[in-house]
Amino acid sequence: MAFLFLTVGACTDTLVQPKSTISEGNVFADVGSYKKFLAKIYAGLAVTGQQGGAGQPDIDPAVFPDEGFSNYVRLLWNLNELPTDEAAVAWGGDLSIQELNTALWAANNAFVKGMYYRVYFQVALANEFLRQSEDAKLAERGQNDPGFRAEIAQYRAEARFLRALSYWHGLDFFGNIPLVTGPLITPPQQATKQEIFDYIVSELNAIMNDLPPHNASTYGRANKWAAHMLLANVYLNAQVYTGQEHWSDGMAEVTAVINSNDYSLAPVWRNNFLADNNTSPEIIFPVPSDGKNTQAYGNTTFLIHAACGGSMSPTVYGLAAGGCWWGNRLKPEAYNNYDGANDTARTSFFVVTGQVPMPNLTNFTDGVAAPKFANVTSTGAPGSDGTFPDTDFPMFRLADAYLMYVELNLRGGGGDATTALNYLNAIRQRGYGNTNGNFAQLPPLDSILAERGRELLWEAHRRVDLIRFGKFTGNTYVWSWKGGPQAGTSLDVKYNLYPLPESELSANPNLHQNPGY
Amino acid sequence: MRRVHYAMCALLALTWTAPLVAQQPTGTIRGRITDNSTQQPITGATVTVGSRTALTSNEGRYTISGVPAGSDLLRARMIGYVQVSQPVMVAGGDTVTVDLALTAQAVGLSAIVVTGYGAQRAGDITGAVTQVSDSQFNTGRIIAPALLIQSKIPGVQVVDNNEPGGGLSIRIRGATSVTADNEPMYVIDGLPVGTGAGGGLSVSGRDPLNTINPEEIETITVLRDASSAAIYGANAANGVVLIQTKRGHRGAPQFEYTGSVSSSVIDRRPDMLNAAQFRTAVQAYAPVNVPQLGNASTNWFDLVTQTGMGADHNLVVSGVGDASNWRLSLGYLNQDGIVVGTTTKRTTFGLNYGQRLFKDRFELTGSVKFAHADYRFTPGGVVGNAAQMGPTQPVFDTASGTGYYEWSGGIQSPDNPVAILALGTDRGTNVRSIGNVHGQYSVPFLEGLRLHVNLGYDQSRADRESFSPSVMHSEQKSGYLGEFSRSNDEQTNQVLETYLNYTAPPGVIPGNVDVTAGYSYQKEHGEYPFIYERSLTTDLLGTNGIPGAGTVQNRLFVEDYKLISFFGRLNYNYADRFIASVSVRRDGSSRFGPDNAWGNFPAVSLAWRVSQESFLRNLGWLSDLKLRVSRATTGNQAFGNYLWAATYALGDDQTRAQFGNEFVTTLRPTGVDPNISWEETRTTNGGFDLGLFSQRVSGTVDFYSKKTSGLIFRIPAPAGSLSSAITTNIGSMSNTGFELSLDSKILEARARKLAWTVTLTASHNTNKLTSINAYAGSAQAQQILTGGIAGGVGSTIQVFIPGQPINSFFVYQQKYDASGKPIYNADPLQMYVDRNNDGVINVDDRRPFHDPAPKWVFGMSNYVTVGHLDFGFVLRAYTGNWVYNNVASSQGAYSEVTRGSPYNLHASVLKTGFLTQQLLSDYYVEDASFLRMDNITVGYALTYHRQPMRIFGAVQSAFTLTGYSGVDPTSGLNGIDNNRYPRSRTFTGGLSLQF
Repeated sequence: MAFLFLTVGACTDTLVQPKSTISEGNVFADVGSYKKFLAKIYAGLAVTGQQGGAGQPDIDPAVFPDEGFSNYVRLLWNLNELPTDEAAVAWGGDLSIQELNTALWAANNAFVKGMYYRVYFQVALANEFLRQSEDAKLAERGQNDPGFRAEIAQYRAEARFLRALSYWHGLDFFGNIPLVTGPLITPPQQATKQEIFDYIVSELNAIMNDLPPHNASTYGRANKWAAHMLLANVYLNAQVYTGQEHWSDGMAEVTAVINSNDYSLAPVWRNNFLADNNTSPEIIFPVPSDGKNTQAYGNTTFLIHAACGGSMSPTVYGLAAGGCWWGNRLKPEAYNNYDGANDTARTSFFVVTGQVPMPNLTNFTDGVAAPKFANVTSTGAPGSDGTFPDTDFPMFRLADAYLMYVELNLRGGGGDATTALNYLNAIRQRGYGNTNGNFAQLPPLDSILAERGRELLWEAHRRVDLIRFGKFTGNTYVWSWKGGPQAGTSLDVKYNLYPLPESELSANPNLHQNPGY
Repeated sequence: MRRVHYAMCALLALTWTAPLVAQQPTGTIRGRITDNSTQQPITGATVTVGSRTALTSNEGRYTISGVPAGSDLLRARMIGYVQVSQPVMVAGGDTVTVDLALTAQAVGLSAIVVTGYGAQRAGDITGAVTQVSDSQFNTGRIIAPALLIQSKIPGVQVVDNNEPGGGLSIRIRGATSVTADNEPMYVIDGLPVGTGAGGGLSVSGRDPLNTINPEEIETITVLRDASSAAIYGANAANGVVLIQTKRGHRGAPQFEYTGSVSSSVIDRRPDMLNAAQFRTAVQAYAPVNVPQLGNASTNWFDLVTQTGMGADHNLVVSGVGDASNWRLSLGYLNQDGIVVGTTTKRTTFGLNYGQRLFKDRFELTGSVKFAHADYRFTPGGVVGNAAQMGPTQPVFDTASGTGYYEWSGGIQSPDNPVAILALGTDRGTNVRSIGNVHGQYSVPFLEGLRLHVNLGYDQSRADRESFSPSVMHSEQKSGYLGEFSRSNDEQTNQVLETYLNYTAPPGVIPGNVDVTAGYSYQKEHGEYPFIYERSLTTDLLGTNGIPGAGTVQNRLFVEDYKLISFFGRLNYNYADRFIASVSVRRDGSSRFGPDNAWGNFPAVSLAWRVSQESFLRNLGWLSDLKLRVSRATTGNQAFGNYLWAATYALGDDQTRAQFGNEFVTTLRPTGVDPNISWEETRTTNGGFDLGLFSQRVSGTVDFYSKKTSGLIFRIPAPAGSLSSAITTNIGSMSNTGFELSLDSKILEARARKLAWTVTLTASHNTNKLTSINAYAGSAQAQQILTGGIAGGVGSTIQVFIPGQPINSFFVYQQKYDASGKPIYNADPLQMYVDRNNDGVINVDDRRPFHDPAPKWVFGMSNYVTVGHLDFGFVLRAYTGNWVYNNVASSQGAYSEVTRGSPYNLHASVLKTGFLTQQLLSDYYVEDASFLRMDNITVGYALTYHRQPMRIFGAVQSAFTLTGYSGVDPTSGLNGIDNNRYPRSRTFTGGLSLQF
């Protein structure tokens, strides 16, 4: 009995520490953890969780119910392509995806919500990485080796780049959003678009020289030119964000990228979108995918599978036998934008599985299939896995920089008109395979919008471009299914911004919804 | 008033008359109090002579010393019995023996009801507690214990999943939680078995309490209201189920055998198109697919279902010695499901032992239970593919690699369900042993003080393995090319409890006092290894080896958990008129954040037996009227371990980031709320117990209000938080309801040997989610989608939204034409009501529309005996439970035949004419109210070689009346009917022998 009472006295301690997970207390005792943490911020663009394919999702099911759909690039693509003249998806029952085809999304649209939380997932990861890798913390942990400190300095710059990238997407999609740069204590205040814009600019300028150099060993990571490219994009669209144009600032950034001479156009256009596109000299910032090591149902897995359907054979695109997802097709306007007979490099892969017009949005064979991305190499060999492609997503590539140069020149941002014409013709010549499509002189701005549509088709730029050209909302340009009817109609100006998710408005009383929602 | 007088006398005797007593000669009276019909001893009867009082012991014995010499009247009283008095004559220094037999008046009131850390007379209970004993249990094919009490207790809903041995859920007075478990706590022979549905481990989909043989159960007691359950503190919010197993006792036969065989047939199957209808649909809507059609007429459901045969054997040996008793049982069950491939085989062993030592001062009881269950599962997708596979297609195809026909449409085609059955493997094993030793010592120096020590363990192991060879159609079309998984979970739960119980000897203070105080220590250790691989290099190893594979995902979790508690309770009974119970439990749990480790759970309940008052006592027809009221706080901590701990999750080798030529493993921080703690439910209960005509008619009515706060929710976190959602104590929810139960002995067995007893139960519950917002000032009320459905990726059909019941359906309002047909139109504005009038139909036009929980639940049990014949039936009805018919919604559109290969259609398409899926239409949310004949049992008792014997037959789910169009209005709790395991109608025949 005495023993029992002794037991009683000794056992009022309820604390049990987790065993099979790494705790916050000891994770950075291992210096390798910093690199793994940074890798997660990069992986946040490419995969959806901690388990290959799906599993342990980054974005909680309470926020977004399907992990595969929650991939960064996939959401970016859906939000920037489906509401435009470039693409439509055939899936009917999947969340509220049909609302994107017509641009009549609800404030509660799941994909809008998913993108918002993806953006802030990246931001929070970067904030936490920066907090955990401060000098004071490193000193506290006795991690003072100068070589290690230099490596950490580089990692910190990369984390800040990735945070700025996501803030750009946040600004572009949602406008006035919270600006969180450290650990969250209370729900943050809503920042203005100007504040977000200024923050991105100052961050990128601050880190420019700390980023890793451009070489084979840093492929997949952000280097200086990726930062310039991001800054160029922010300046290019500055008028949309702040009402203030920054054409010449944009020109300075894009010129720096081009003049670095680190990049050149890939001789074969299509090679930028195939399983060995990591060897393309053109890609400035990729989101890598790998059949064995980087697997998710987003990124190029989505782009390649969803573009396949109808009578198409999945094996042609390096996919397993059942690999077609019967999803994305071209809206007729995008198909008709090409000089199909002559612009062969950029159109030869199109497949008309049914008809060009799209009387039925949920019928895959209405509309033209555009398997631009494929899981086969430039020599025709299949990728390493039939489900998860080896094909990397080119977020920034040189052709985009060329077209930005041309547009900025036309908009009065400076630069040289002849150089601009040369850049434009280099792109056209690669598409046509000859000089037949070349321009004799710089065409008007609207032709640049059309050229961007042809060159950068399905690379998640279209909505941004249409808004910059003032054509996304209103009725100056109407395409199939815009605003509801098949013939298309005017779209309310409120749709230039996506709504803040209602779940976020519930969680943060400081926020105000975007106008019109 | 007489009782008050007695008590006053007792008090006076103690104070100033006491010294006088010593001067008079005194004697002793001792004896035994028994029930005059059963001859069983009566424990806890009050025996009084003059001012001296005693309570009878477990053996019915009493001793009153210091009785003044002379003649006096000896009185014995016990609740539920007629009071008896007998004149006695005591001489100084003498000991007189007086044995009395009491006549039962209202038997129900004196029945011993098991409660937490003790037992009480039914009549003394102040909370809402219902005990069901083996004679009232449901019969037939019953594998897990919970089905024994289905429809027997008001406010207790037992939900099964239709598989033999499938997981059962119990909801007591509605759901109190969303994220944490809603299952009650189970206590088996005094041993708390952990949180969740019966503690321990189970193979997913099968019930963890399959390891308790229902034949071995003597009583199941449900503590429905919080005041009775609160002694279990942080585990008590969902109610407590106490299971007592049978023990050896006097009069029990030495050998018993019970055996039965059963046969189950499918009740209803989904309403799919037949071959001719299917062909017509394909010709009309997908002419391009017509060349794929075959000429067969295959009923896929016939091919994957069967008559499920079962057998159950139980053998018991028991014995009683002078100071000991024992009971040994063996059970074997083998039951097939009605879908091919489903089997449950179970072997159980149980030993109960009791021993009294040290002149009966020390009572030791021990119990060991062991079970081994072998499960085979119908591989995933068989039922769903039987609904999707085209009826025009053949089963076999000699030209294919597997010999089975498969469609050619790749990922856009269903799988041949017969091929899945032939090629796939899915099976599991569950081994569990529960045991405890309970010692009770009556301390010699203070009469009425007992020390209890309870030591117990619960060890379980659950294995599951599944294998899908690369040749399977599903593996080919997904590109997985062969999958293998195996888990081998082990868990050990150890419990040590010590408590003191003091029953004040009568006369010390007015009324009876019973005090319990104790300490409990519980710890659990679990190890959960898991192997998964796909793209297997060979199919040859099956489940017996681990071949090389394209993708390997192995995991191991090791978890520990502790629960440390102090508890105390005081029961006070003043003359059977005023009864009070006060308890408190202090729980420390490792699941609460270290800064919130301890929580207090108090309870108080009061009862007034009005029928004992003078103004009602003379009403001969009123045998009992007791008013009860209680208030208590209970907790729920049935959620994951370590939710408070900030951790980093390592990514696997397939989620690495490419840094040049290197792939770097990732580390992801997890945002947590370090202050996470238990959910707290405050319950107020009011009710009364009524007995008429010597309890021939008795009833109980309860009203309750449960308010749960600190609801654990996974809610979206504000932008900038480390995780997109955080698990935190945020919400609040309420359940209010009403319960009624009525027992009536309509006919009592007398000369004609005809007896008929009816038990009626009715309960009503209203659930409402009150809040899930983190900040009061938010512009929007939070709403969280839930209830995933088939038919589209990530589609959900339900919502958590304040002001509505949890899991309310969240759907568009369908428009109907003049003939009542749902409108289909390419323009959504023609089909659905534009709820927010913005000229667009989008997800903002959804509205909450009914929910799956029944509003009213009715049960009716009948027991009839006519001579040797017994007959019983159980009826059950629900109203206000709504079900989403997902088979109809996902396959009730002509677009399904336009896929790569046509899918078979649900017959609802013939009515709706929907061209594309309308998953979110409220058309598919149906009222699933029903009336079901759950059970009919007939038995006949006879004598064979002078030994009693009974033969019986039972039919379960004899018939169901419902307007619901799907396969079953009951299975599952979530109200989503997505290719559920079909319900079976089961016929059982058996016999029991004693020798």
